[in-house]
Amino acid sequence: MTGTSVAPVAIIHGTPIVAAMLSLATTRAPVLHGLNLATMTALVVSELAIVQRVLEQGSFTSLWDFVYLDALSAFILLIITAIGFLCSLYTWSYLDDYVARGAITPRRVSRFFFLFHLFLFTMIAATTANNLGVLWIAMEGTTLATVFLISFFRRREGFEAGWKYLILCSVGIALALFGTVLTYYSSVRVLGDVSAAMNVTTLQDVAHQLDPHVLKLAFLFIVVGYGTKVGLAPMHSWLPEAYSEAPAPVVAMLAGVLETVAVYALLRSKTIVDHALPEHYTGNLLILFGLLSFVVAALFILIQHDYKRLFAYSSIEHMGIAMAGFGVGGVAGTFGGLFHLLNHALAKSLAFFSAGNVHRRFGTREIKDVRGLMTVQPVTATAMLVATLALVGMPPFSTFLSELTIVSALATQSFSSDTLHLGRFLTIVVAHDVRSLAIVALFLLFMVVLFGGFTYRVTSMIWGPPPDGVKRGEGWEVGQVPLVVTCVVLAGLGLTLPEPIRGLMDQAVHIILSAR
Amino acid sequence: MPLITPLIGSQLVDLGSALLLLTCFGIVAQRRLSACVDLFAVQSVFLALTATLVAFLTGIHHIYIAAALTVIIKAIVIPRILKRVIERLNVTRELVMNVNVPSGLLICGGLVMLAFFITQPIIPLGFLLTRDSLAIALAIMLIGFFTMIARKKAVTQVIGFLVMENGLFLGASAAAYGMPLIVELGVFFDVLVGAIIIGIYTHRLHDAFDSVDTSKLTILKE
Repeated sequence: MTGTSVAPVAIIHGTPIVAAMLSLATTRAPVLHGLNLATMTALVVSELAIVQRVLEQGSFTSLWDFVYLDALSAFILLIITAIGFLCSLYTWSYLDDYVARGAITPRRVSRFFFLFHLFLFTMIAATTANNLGVLWIAMEGTTLATVFLISFFRRREGFEAGWKYLILCSVGIALALFGTVLTYYSSVRVLGDVSAAMNVTTLQDVAHQLDPHVLKLAFLFIVVGYGTKVGLAPMHSWLPEAYSEAPAPVVAMLAGVLETVAVYALLRSKTIVDHALPEHYTGNLLILFGLLSFVVAALFILIQHDYKRLFAYSSIEHMGIAMAGFGVGGVAGTFGGLFHLLNHALAKSLAFFSAGNVHRRFGTREIKDVRGLMTVQPVTATAMLVATLALVGMPPFSTFLSELTIVSALATQSFSSDTLHLGRFLTIVVAHDVRSLAIVALFLLFMVVLFGGFTYRVTSMIWGPPPDGVKRGEGWEVGQVPLVVTCVVLAGLGLTLPEPIRGLMDQAVHIILSAR
Repeated sequence: MPLITPLIGSQLVDLGSALLLLTCFGIVAQRRLSACVDLFAVQSVFLALTATLVAFLTGIHHIYIAAALTVIIKAIVIPRILKRVIERLNVTRELVMNVNVPSGLLICGGLVMLAFFITQPIIPLGFLLTRDSLAIALAIMLIGFFTMIARKKAVTQVIGFLVMENGLFLGASAAAYGMPLIVELGVFFDVLVGAIIIGIYTHRLHDAFDSVDTSKLTILKE
């Protein structure tokens, strides 16, 4: 392997660690922001080099087989680096504002970037890990790195949310480790005690020889475990609290990127166990959790009075939609699921960027106390409106396309199995036509519920006369750039999907479906 | 003639796993927080002994390293951190629980049966030496999970989580003869960092709420 081909992989892992250490060395805000932007630029550039290589030669391993990159992980890396870059721009204005008000000391800014870069590193490591155990370690690392970011403002509510996040996610992820151990248990029987028995590259080759009983149990634990991190119902209770308490740039990363990485962990396991399991076992589980999350989130959205929690429940809903897409499988469902991950990451980070701006201006998270946003903050209001329209799946935004793809996959995919096995104890038998019809009907019904509930809440904030005592008008600053860029990208992706991204996604779909 | 025949070896591993399970019941029955921490430390020592036994019987050397790390981190370092937290916060006993001790013990008995029931189809696939340990490992995880639900104090919830980790580790070292070394090191690192963070966090919770009773964490509601 030549030196040039290792460089992007080494840079994408090394830069965040170095930046984290350097962040501790200074408390001067401009230096910290500059360092952060330089880091993100390096990450984006090396990610582009990786994408190019994956498009040219498919999957490859690097750094002594520790790193495995294919179209799927390159696609997730693309989301991490792109949203991360936008977040960095937003963070500049956001933190400067809080420092200027005296809410946080400059020392805290340096801590913020230390944790932020570690958070980035753990997510990148999780996405590129060849070893399923290392993937788990990195996922647990994301929890540990973000706990203090969630309680960054040191409010009582923040500590409460952070504690729930820490405990629930650690327990959830412990269950995922048990699933990983079980996978290893089945592969050791085939391969013997070699450290490669946990590697994705090795497991893909021997997957069809693995024992299906063990893998069924393993995948169940993995879905529940990583599903906690994705925020799937009924393991979602930490999510609205963490999202409403954490600083806006952190939530944008949690909602847009961390959830996507957790979905990646699920998909990676799915591509392996699918080889050995009967058709639709993994798919049915994902559909089940996906639809449950969708329905639960839709109902909770109706009763929210806090706009940050509103967007948080919308995250649960969209992860449910994406899961349903991956669950129904086929080229359409899987492609829709991947595309939806990208769109959701963009739309949700846009939503939380604008929510952060509103919170800073109005000083409240109550929907009823925010009025006349269009008069007070025109740019933010437009961004929030765009985010909302995208989140309820309106054209011309790209979420419309991905949701449509998933719904049509749900409607047309023929289910070869007529039974829905829930573990060993409960089996629901339904004729497959009725089932697929029922699922689509349910889906569309709750889409309408969501559309009404969501737009009603948000539009009530945007129009109307603003309350007295709120400063009107907003100036242009660095922090507005990501709002504009994300709006444009969301609309642009709805009109056309650039060829490199489409190629990457096609390859990723092929990888996920390789077992079928 | 080897020193320990496979049959005796397998029974010794079972004995070690059973002792781990026994300490779990001890933790469920114990109200004094410092005694819970001690029981956890004892459990970690049993875990290390079982792992050493597996390493000796199979000749797989990297399990020795994991066993040594278990003693250092889980039997010495983490109990110390937890004891310091208990001392500093001045909480000694858990007076109110979500589930009382007798019914808690009954539920745990049920959880053990459930664990054997779930793992029944996959146990015959395992290595002869450590077959039953997988079921016991799952039982320990479930009891740890139950402890987290049944108790209210932050410290006991953390102990429940650590018991879950012990169950996991038993499952890995007994059923699959240990995970690759790099993974085990990483897991230990995560557990240690997690324990340190939890130590700091309980302190902050105490400052913010004047209590480490997690049932007081009710500001955030629908």
